[in-house]
Amino acid sequence: MKNFKYFRPKNLDELLAIKNELKEEARLLAGGSNLLVYIKEGSLKSGTLVDIGSLAALKGIREKDGYLEIGAAETIIDIMASPVVSEKLPFLRESLRVFANPLIRNISTVAGNIAEGSPIADTAPLLLVLNSEVVAASITGRRNIPIDDFFISLGKTEIKANEVIITIRIPIPETGRGKFVKLGLRKGTSCSVVSVAVWLIANGRGVEDIRIALGGVAPLPLRAVKTEALFRGKILNEHNIGELALEVTNEITPITDVRGGAAYRSEVSAALLSKAVRECLGMEE
Amino acid sequence: MDVICAGKRSITLKINGRERSLEVRPNEILLNMLRERFNLMGSKYGCGIGECGACTVLLNGRAVLSCQILAISVAGQEITTIEGISRGASHSSHAGTAPAGTLHPAGTLHPAGTLHPLQAAFIEEGAVQCGFCTPGMIISAKALLDKNPDPNNEQIKEAIRGNMCRCTGYTNIISAVKSAAKRMLKE
Ligand SMILES: Cc1cc2nc3c(=O)[nH]c(=O)nc-3n(C[C@H](O)[C@H](O)[C@H](O)COP(=O)(O)OP(=O)(O)OC[C@H]3O[C@@H](n4cnc5c(N)ncnc54)[C@H](O)[C@@H]3O)c2cc1C
Ligand code: FES
Ligand code: FES
Repeated sequence: MKNFKYFRPKNLDELLAIKNELKEEARLLAGGSNLLVYIKEGSLKSGTLVDIGSLAALKGIREKDGYLEIGAAETIIDIMASPVVSEKLPFLRESLRVFANPLIRNISTVAGNIAEGSPIADTAPLLLVLNSEVVAASITGRRNIPIDDFFISLGKTEIKANEVIITIRIPIPETGRGKFVKLGLRKGTSCSVVSVAVWLIANGRGVEDIRIALGGVAPLPLRAVKTEALFRGKILNEHNIGELALEVTNEITPITDVRGGAAYRSEVSAALLSKAVRECLGMEE
Repeated sequence: MDVICAGKRSITLKINGRERSLEVRPNEILLNMLRERFNLMGSKYGCGIGECGACTVLLNGRAVLSCQILAISVAGQEITTIEGISRGASHSSHAGTAPAGTLHPAGTLHPAGTLHPLQAAFIEEGAVQCGFCTPGMIISAKALLDKNPDPNNEQIKEAIRGNMCRCTGYTNIISAVKSAAKRMLKE
């Protein structure tokens, strides 16, 4: 027998209080696009569904102190439609265009996307290359978790049982260009097999700085720091982009599952990285 | 603090323009509520896990999957189903009052009702075969046309990306949306 309770907190204090009291038993319900699948499939059988989907304290998209601050209950669609995002970080808007489909984007949130520590969450590589921070709150206070420290192991994040994500903070980059590419099984309604995000600061074709992150190729979404180091300082051309991108296969530990084999994932990773870098340089449209 | 709701909770919401009140369980799915409690059978149950789009409805004007939403979450909000988009449709369903097994007038057209241009265009363009995806397709298309009255093919494809059709191959569906848009622009 399924045994659910439901609670819709009216403000942040109520949310933090119930999370503190019930810990893991309080299941935050943002868009519900993951949670409702668990209920339907029966992997989630009980708990108190804490509905934060319309909690005003977790809404709002604003620029503050050089950061883009996105409330945890903001939907993907509202982030894409936000004038602040379009002006300050069009890369984010463009990247989210390949997130699921409009029906899912209309309800899904970024916080809900990363909260489960899934290696294939599409926003994870984006947040990684943008050096973002996740703001967590509990009844004892708030803390900013750098995205590099956020993902701990498969299915596990830095968020404690009495904490909730309240804001995603992204430093607004002054220079550079970004590109996010993903390969899914079907266009539209599917999660990624492999995804790659790149943020490139280049002078002509000379790499001043580069950040590379991947999803679906390790137990965690990850930054490819060794490959980044190899790219840094290079003058890129038709040949060396592909060669450098191939180095990323030494840094990842893909698995074989229903969506693809490990060797396939490796090859795809290098190909997507090469494509993303070329697009950042305007070599491909 | 508000009491945590363990059993049923009574909610009020607007469905196809009419205020409705009923008691729902905490884990009751919106799609099931619409179909079982209001006999609004237009929204279909395809996969139940967000993959097919057959259950698409409008929530405050946005196309969403009613199999992915709890009924209790939409208290106070506005739902439009396929039954609610034809002009002059009667939406005459009554929560809980339909005896099991009886035919119910919900979703049938009022004698004076006319089809929405999207519905008419889907019929004219042969965009309906088995019809299982049609309500969802039309709802997604309506959400698009409400925002963007003159979409191009790419925008239409994008808008119905979450709606699967296993019969028609999409070409006629896209033509139908285009033709409805044209008609609505002229009106
Ligand atoms: C058909 C379909 C297609 C999809 N396609 C994609 C895709 O292309 N890319 C992709 O990345 N994902 C995809 N997904 C997965 C899913 O839509 C996303 O992960 C989405 O971002 C989840 O957000 P939500 O708000 O719906 O989360 P919910 O389901 O509400 O919550 C998910 C988890 O996060 C927790 N949570 C939510 N908010 C918070 C918070 N503020 N603090 C702490 N924990 C929180 C919840 O308790 C729950 O455990 C798809 C899902 C479906 C059904
Ligand atoms: S029934 Fe809702 S998406 Fe398939
Ligand atoms: S007409 Fe049969 S699924 Fe679309």
